[in-house]
Amino acid sequence: MPTARSNGASPDLGLLQGTLDVMILKALSWGPMHGFGVAKWIHLTTDDVLQIEDGALYPALHRMEHRGLIDADWDLTENKRRAKYYRLTPKGREQLRARTSSWDRYSAAVSKVIHATVQPSVS
Amino acid sequence: MASDTRKWHRYLNFWRPNIAADVDAELAFHVDARTEELCDAGLDRAAARAQALREFGDVDLARRTLRSMDEQHAASERRAHVASDILGDVRVAVRALRRSPGLVAVVGLTFALGIGVTGAMYSVVDNILFKPLPGAHGANLVVLGRTEERLPMPHDVSFPDFRDYRADTTVFASLAAYASRVVELNTDRGADRIWIDDATANYFSVLGLRPLLGRTFEPDEDRGALAHPVIVLTYKAWQAHFAGDSAVIGRAVNINGHPVTVIGVTPPEFHGVRPLVDIDGIAPIDQISPAYGAALESRASTAVSVFGRLRPGVSLSAAREAVRLKAGQLERAYPATNRKVGAVLVREQYARPSITVSGIAPGIAAMFMTLVMLVMLVACANIASLLLARVVARGRDLAVRAAIGASQWRLVRQVLVECTLLALLGGVGAVAVTYGAVRAVESINIATDIPVRWGIELNGRIIAFTMVATLIAALAAGLAPASAARKRNLNDVLRSGTGNSATAAHRRLRSALVAGQIAISVVVLVCAGLFVRSSANAARMSLGFRTDHLLMLSTELRSQSYDSVRGQQFYREVLRRAATAPGVKSVALSRFVPFGYDRAISTIVPIAPGVQLPVSGFNYFHNIVGGDYFAAMGIPLLEGRAFTERDDANAPPVAVVSDALVKAVWPGQTALGKRFRFGGNDGPVVEIVGVVRGIQDMILGETPKPYVFLPVAQAYRSPMTILVETASDPSSIVRPMRAVVAGLDPSLPVFDVRTMDDHLRNGQALLFTRLGSAFATVFGLLALVLATIGVYGVVSYSVAQRTREIGVRMALGARRPAIVRLVVGQGMRLGWIGLGVGLVLSVATMGVVSSVLYGVTPRDPLVLGSVVGLLTLVVVIASFVPARRAMRIDPMTSLRSQ
Repeated sequence: MPTARSNGASPDLGLLQGTLDVMILKALSWGPMHGFGVAKWIHLTTDDVLQIEDGALYPALHRMEHRGLIDADWDLTENKRRAKYYRLTPKGREQLRARTSSWDRYSAAVSKVIHATVQPSVS
Repeated sequence: MASDTRKWHRYLNFWRPNIAADVDAELAFHVDARTEELCDAGLDRAAARAQALREFGDVDLARRTLRSMDEQHAASERRAHVASDILGDVRVAVRALRRSPGLVAVVGLTFALGIGVTGAMYSVVDNILFKPLPGAHGANLVVLGRTEERLPMPHDVSFPDFRDYRADTTVFASLAAYASRVVELNTDRGADRIWIDDATANYFSVLGLRPLLGRTFEPDEDRGALAHPVIVLTYKAWQAHFAGDSAVIGRAVNINGHPVTVIGVTPPEFHGVRPLVDIDGIAPIDQISPAYGAALESRASTAVSVFGRLRPGVSLSAAREAVRLKAGQLERAYPATNRKVGAVLVREQYARPSITVSGIAPGIAAMFMTLVMLVMLVACANIASLLLARVVARGRDLAVRAAIGASQWRLVRQVLVECTLLALLGGVGAVAVTYGAVRAVESINIATDIPVRWGIELNGRIIAFTMVATLIAALAAGLAPASAARKRNLNDVLRSGTGNSATAAHRRLRSALVAGQIAISVVVLVCAGLFVRSSANAARMSLGFRTDHLLMLSTELRSQSYDSVRGQQFYREVLRRAATAPGVKSVALSRFVPFGYDRAISTIVPIAPGVQLPVSGFNYFHNIVGGDYFAAMGIPLLEGRAFTERDDANAPPVAVVSDALVKAVWPGQTALGKRFRFGGNDGPVVEIVGVVRGIQDMILGETPKPYVFLPVAQAYRSPMTILVETASDPSSIVRPMRAVVAGLDPSLPVFDVRTMDDHLRNGQALLFTRLGSAFATVFGLLALVLATIGVYGVVSYSVAQRTREIGVRMALGARRPAIVRLVVGQGMRLGWIGLGVGLVLSVATMGVVSSVLYGVTPRDPLVLGSVVGLLTLVVVIASFVPARRAMRIDPMTSLRSQ
């Protein structure tokens, strides 16, 4: 467990809203989780490369809840504290599948361009 | 545990969830959890918390963002929820209503009759009495009339008087005058008689009316006789005679043989200044073929209708005072013509269709409005009562739904949705009936060649008003029991066998509604009865002349440019030939017919033997007659002789006068041999050779007015009406008489062909009385039908409720007649209360209409008796039908059914 996160300058990846949504959906695909859990999982998984402020996570969660992609309920943690747990709805699961496959195609295409070895032929 | 939290959360969510607290708790949890984590990793608590907050970013911003997001979302959720609930209510209501088609039919019928017919009737009254004239100033017009001591109602004004009122008073912003007349329009397609207003040049500017095409009059276009022969056509005439061709503007057309330039066309909504009359055009006064001659310059004639606009800030009463003062000045300045002549000023709406009705029009308008309102009230009471019964009858259903958890508001809403659906449904029926009723009124035929236009608009205002009024009544009726339903003890309702929740209060309310309906029906029916009696009396009234076996047809010699020599020759020949036709008893000529649209007043100056009196005269109606006028008209000769063929142009001028004139001018003396100058001080000297009994001429029931008759052979006039007394049905000799005229000159127009009976019944003598009685009868029957539905509803509902009780009574030996008495007695109790209240109301209020009744008092026993009898009968029948149902109740079935 990290004791601190680097807050230093890092490549500005211009976190797209859609990207954050996909990451949240992926986080919740393991099972119901509260907002803190989602944040922690994203930080761990990305090795903190993406500079996501925890505060930015919640509007995304609420928006997705309103859209019916995720569902929320208050429940108790292991420490018997009340926390708001989010969980994927079938609609959210479907969304995750669709976004994952389009992300794959997108990143493969961008990757091909970046690593291209063939010079364009100018006529 | 989890499910408890869920419920609690839901609960919060429904009642304005505590969004702020939820957001705070969620964010606090995040920061706390991260702080714990950092503490576990070895940081001290303060540092851990500081780092957690730093990592989180702007907590305040997040809090605000989340709160507003959640609140917006919650609001839209709530809206969607309500919408889907109401949709559900509508579905339930439609299902429920489909199960009771009887109720739907009755409510629909009540709406249709109550709103439809009253709406249509109101539209008629609205057009005749209330609707402002088209044009910017249409709503603010006043009409000026002339009163004379001897005449019971105001009349039109003389043209010189009009000029003086216009010039010498300061209360008017503008004052215009017009006179309607018939002219002949000659086009390629032949000659048409058209009605025009001869008007002062400011006619259009007083109205504030702009032309559709071309222009209206220049300010000086009414100056100098025949100097400006121009005409503005109405839209109707433009379409009918010129096919809407705009090229006609600026062109000369042939009117009465003279070229007249068409300068403009009025907008389609303009039909002239008199409601009911649909004129064809407007010309500046005295600019198209000479029509008036001396009449226009005589202060004794009532030549023109005058209307105008008050100067801003001048009140009607101030203006009345000003015209009264001016009338006094005129009386002093022109004693010969204006003695005892006054002026009245009324709002234009009260002088429709002419100034002569201004005394009674407001009363009649108020009466019809009241009738409309009363019938509406009965309709509303009916609907309220029916819905009340329905809600009460559904008590058990509502109680069950409440027991299984339907919210109270939801139950109330369900009832309201049903009421609204019924109201909308009824509204559709109402519009259909209104269209039908309007068609029916438009088909009423008025006996005149004047182009009549009812001009009924389906007044959106009226329909909207009545719909809203009834909707409110329906909702009020539904709301009361619905809200009562939610307070009820469910156990009682569910346990009680009948499954209804009719409390004593509900029953009393319904009974009161029905008794009230009957009371109102009594008032409306009494009013209708009085009108019917009055109309019958009026039709039977002796008018002083023959009304049967008399055919009238008119012809106009001026249009064919006859001079008086040719004209006299024509008249002699017509009389001679018509008299020989089979079935003809006598033939006469007359310039004016009684209760016609045209009459003339002349000054007569009596000549005392040997003494020349100072300038002083009397203004009396006169008529020019020929042939056996008094015989054909059945007017009895009291003294002297009637005119003969020897009273021609070469003989000394003679006159026959009515007994009323003798009484007025030579009281206590014989008039025979008396002489007077006709038409003023320089008129011819005429000797009285006969006295006849007076006739009613203008208003039904009037005391006959002084009248002077002159022979046409000595006073040539045109047009004249040919009067033919027949032995058999007068309409059978229309063709022979037309043939007589055509045989003399086929180019002569023949018009106003009708029997005297038709002329009176469908003309101004009786038509409005008859229409009034017809309308009042429709209202009366409507109220009766609605009250019948009301009584039937209450009694049959009560029978349904008392099925078990009646079953018990029968099981205990009650005979069927006793059951019928029980049920009918209930209806009759309501009936008697309603009748009693209604009779008291009628007697108290009918004095208002007594002024328009002929020969019947407001307390006419026949009318009151008939109404009581009719309503009693209706109540008995309406209660007897459910009573028969009660009689057939099988005790065993009714007892077992619980």
